[in-house]
Amino acid sequence: MTTSADMTGTPGERAEQPPDADDAPVRGLWRQGVEVFCEDRLALVGVAIFLLLAGVCFLGPLFYHTDQVHTDLAAVFLSPGAPGHPLGTDGVGYDQLGRLMLGGQTSIIVGLAAGVLATAVGTVWGAVAGFVGGWVDAAMMRVVDAMMAIPSLFLFMLMATIVTPTVPMLILIIGAFAWLGPARLVRGEALTLRAREYIQAMRSMGGTGGRAVRRHIVPNAIGTVIVNATFQVADAILYVAYLSFLGLGVPPPAANWGGMLADGLADTYSGHWWLLYPPGIAIILIVLACNFIGGGLRDAFEVRLRRR
Amino acid sequence: MRGRFHRRALRGAVAIASVVVGLGLVACTGGASKSAQGGSQGKDTVTVAFRTPNWILPISAPGFTQGENATFSSALYRHLYEYKLDGSAKYNIDTARSLANPPEISNDGKTMTITLKDNTWSDGKALTTRDIQFWYNLVSANKDKWASYRAGGFPDNIADFTVKDEKTFSLTTTKVYNTAWFVDNQLNRIVPLPKHVWDTDSATAAAADLSATPEGAKKVFEFLTAASKDPKTYASNALWKVNSGAWKLDGYVPGGEVVLTAQKVYSGSDKPKLSKVVLKPFTGDDAEFNVVRSGEIDYGYVPAAALDQRKYLESKGYTVSPWYGWSITYLQLNYNSPKSAPLFKQAYVRQALQMLIDQPTISKVIWAGTASPTCGPVPRKPGADGSADGCAYSFDPAKSKQLLESHGWKVAPDGQTTCQRAGAGPDQCGDGIAEGTPLAFTVTSQTGFAAATKTFAEIKSQMTKLGIDLTIKEVPDSVAVTPACKPTDANCSWDMSFFGAQGSWYYPAFASGERLFATGAPVNLGSYSNPEADRLIEATQFSGDDSSLKAYNDFLAKDLPVLWMPNPVYQISTFKSGLQGVEPQDPMNGMFFQDWSWKN
Repeated sequence: MTTSADMTGTPGERAEQPPDADDAPVRGLWRQGVEVFCEDRLALVGVAIFLLLAGVCFLGPLFYHTDQVHTDLAAVFLSPGAPGHPLGTDGVGYDQLGRLMLGGQTSIIVGLAAGVLATAVGTVWGAVAGFVGGWVDAAMMRVVDAMMAIPSLFLFMLMATIVTPTVPMLILIIGAFAWLGPARLVRGEALTLRAREYIQAMRSMGGTGGRAVRRHIVPNAIGTVIVNATFQVADAILYVAYLSFLGLGVPPPAANWGGMLADGLADTYSGHWWLLYPPGIAIILIVLACNFIGGGLRDAFEVRLRRR
Repeated sequence: MRGRFHRRALRGAVAIASVVVGLGLVACTGGASKSAQGGSQGKDTVTVAFRTPNWILPISAPGFTQGENATFSSALYRHLYEYKLDGSAKYNIDTARSLANPPEISNDGKTMTITLKDNTWSDGKALTTRDIQFWYNLVSANKDKWASYRAGGFPDNIADFTVKDEKTFSLTTTKVYNTAWFVDNQLNRIVPLPKHVWDTDSATAAAADLSATPEGAKKVFEFLTAASKDPKTYASNALWKVNSGAWKLDGYVPGGEVVLTAQKVYSGSDKPKLSKVVLKPFTGDDAEFNVVRSGEIDYGYVPAAALDQRKYLESKGYTVSPWYGWSITYLQLNYNSPKSAPLFKQAYVRQALQMLIDQPTISKVIWAGTASPTCGPVPRKPGADGSADGCAYSFDPAKSKQLLESHGWKVAPDGQTTCQRAGAGPDQCGDGIAEGTPLAFTVTSQTGFAAATKTFAEIKSQMTKLGIDLTIKEVPDSVAVTPACKPTDANCSWDMSFFGAQGSWYYPAFASGERLFATGAPVNLGSYSNPEADRLIEATQFSGDDSSLKAYNDFLAKDLPVLWMPNPVYQISTFKSGLQGVEPQDPMNGMFFQDWSWKN
């Protein structure tokens, strides 16, 4: 039970191996995981879409220069194909293609940052609650239950009306309430893992609870966490869209796809389709991409679990 | 697991795609799947797009002065006088709708004797001068809590209130006022209240004569105010079931639908022709207009951005009619903001900011020609054109820049303009402005109005060009979060407030500014104070000469107590063509549902 041979099966124990230990099987698992991920065409499509959208949003402005700060009321609602405006202009004269790039930056930054923040907070919270157990677990999870009982969109809207929405503030607001799901997931994993022999062995050798959480619980739940993180990113992007759709997003001249979609809807009946379709399709694609990547990652981690 | 995640992803994608494609199809085909066959046409009900009111007591309270509250309240409780602006009646009094005959003036203009017509409450009790006195006692004892109160105004300017009999009472003023002003802007506030039901301080105690003393009146007022602050009980609370108006409240959902039904024992001459009015709120322009297009509502509005849908709506049996108001629109500045007050107190800063607001272009492009520039505190004629002729400060960014630079500001286009020469000299930034102070403001605006959002995007853009940082914050109710305040108040940090997506202020018949721009005025949210403005405002109350109104207007147009903004129509009303009596739409923002009927 305490031999190094017994310890090679889990990442947690891998961390306790001496530096010269043979980690070839572990590398093999990772390679298998990558291979499985690469075999998943939808996952690869997801990666490609995500990279493409991120590339267009973050690198596009380097090559396609537009003024996204100053309005131009002399050039409102120009149709796609108008000189200098391949995707037309909006109701205050902003170039729509440039705006898509700017809006995409906000959506992706907030989505990624809020998703990572929610996952990090939720992972630590759930791991501590699940590992410590007892009244600590009960108290911590009641906090989660209580917060989950309140509709998240309502909380986001409430917060967004109290504070001035900015990108960092949106990240904090969404991250502050989106960690509940990961906390529950990781807590479930922790409850299972804490009963494992290798953790009991570590404790019997004098290992602390903090070390158990840091070196064993979290690393062993990493598959669940990463997969969940991809969905958190997708959800966060949608939350940004919801808030902006309700007029609670970042104020102009900043943009995001949800806000653009809302603006487009205001002009829907005037036939300005180019204000509606591009941001709508972009939201669909980025959320799909995150979900496809998440699905692929899940399968990749399942390989490791099956092998173990 | 793999399949589950992919199915989830696909389901999500299909759902989102369906929504967007569906919306897009509607957009591209230019036609709703339903024709305008819904609503209540041909029945005795009308459905109306209308923000949910949140104040029922017909004594206005600070923070609850929104137009929907006034309309709601007046549907249930008639004012002593109603007015019309067509110039056909003495003092603009609409005699047919009013509860009393026009006042008889005596005592060199100081005494007004008013005789009530025969009217009853919905419970059959006669409406008498006791109900007027009850109102008078309540506002006199609680004037600091009344949104219409300002020091020196009603009831401070009343030397004597005498009830002569059940039908006649008289008011004697402390000074000889301009009668037109007093009748239009003071007597318009009087709303008889059902003393026989409301003169109590608890739901269990029977109404008595508690309001006869100031202490008792305070208790009664507190009781009524508390009830009015509890919207969920509006439809059930017995207090609100005795009305003088043409309508009674049949259903009320906080933040939701309100149902009014015709008052069967209504004693006015303008009897309701419909039996029910359903007021439906919407979260924003888009949601409301979708319902209009689907024909599910009888009376709504067309957002400015969708005005080019007029022909489509008319082809579907709707009438489209802009509702021009006796109103002005402005951007409120907070002269008590700890951060921004020193800046706003500098006239050149206000002028520089005003010159960055391109009112004619915003009116024409963003408001689709349904707004017109505001040049001063006295409204232009309802339906005025979009030119800014006559405005003291026209759109002129170059002059604005010059003005700032000549007062010691280092203008940094697309950067941050800062004060370079602190001090109170003529070429310095001004008193209380430290070196390095940035020109940076936050404006609190309204959600749900696409044109307002675009307006501030344009203004921010113009300010950015001069390095002025404008942060835009939209909230559902900008009036509620930008109250009049003292610098030490916790809620006094706001800089600018906009609540003019449907016009900021609708005047009574006489467009004087004692409620808006006088020192300490109840709706002077920004605490603007200028002795000369006070003097000119005061003068309009005493002089029957139009020149006093002009002098007041000209002074404030230049002094800029607020920033003048494009004044939009109250709304571009659209209603089923079979709905009669909607027009003419009252420029003073009144809605008289009792005039409405369906064409047979």
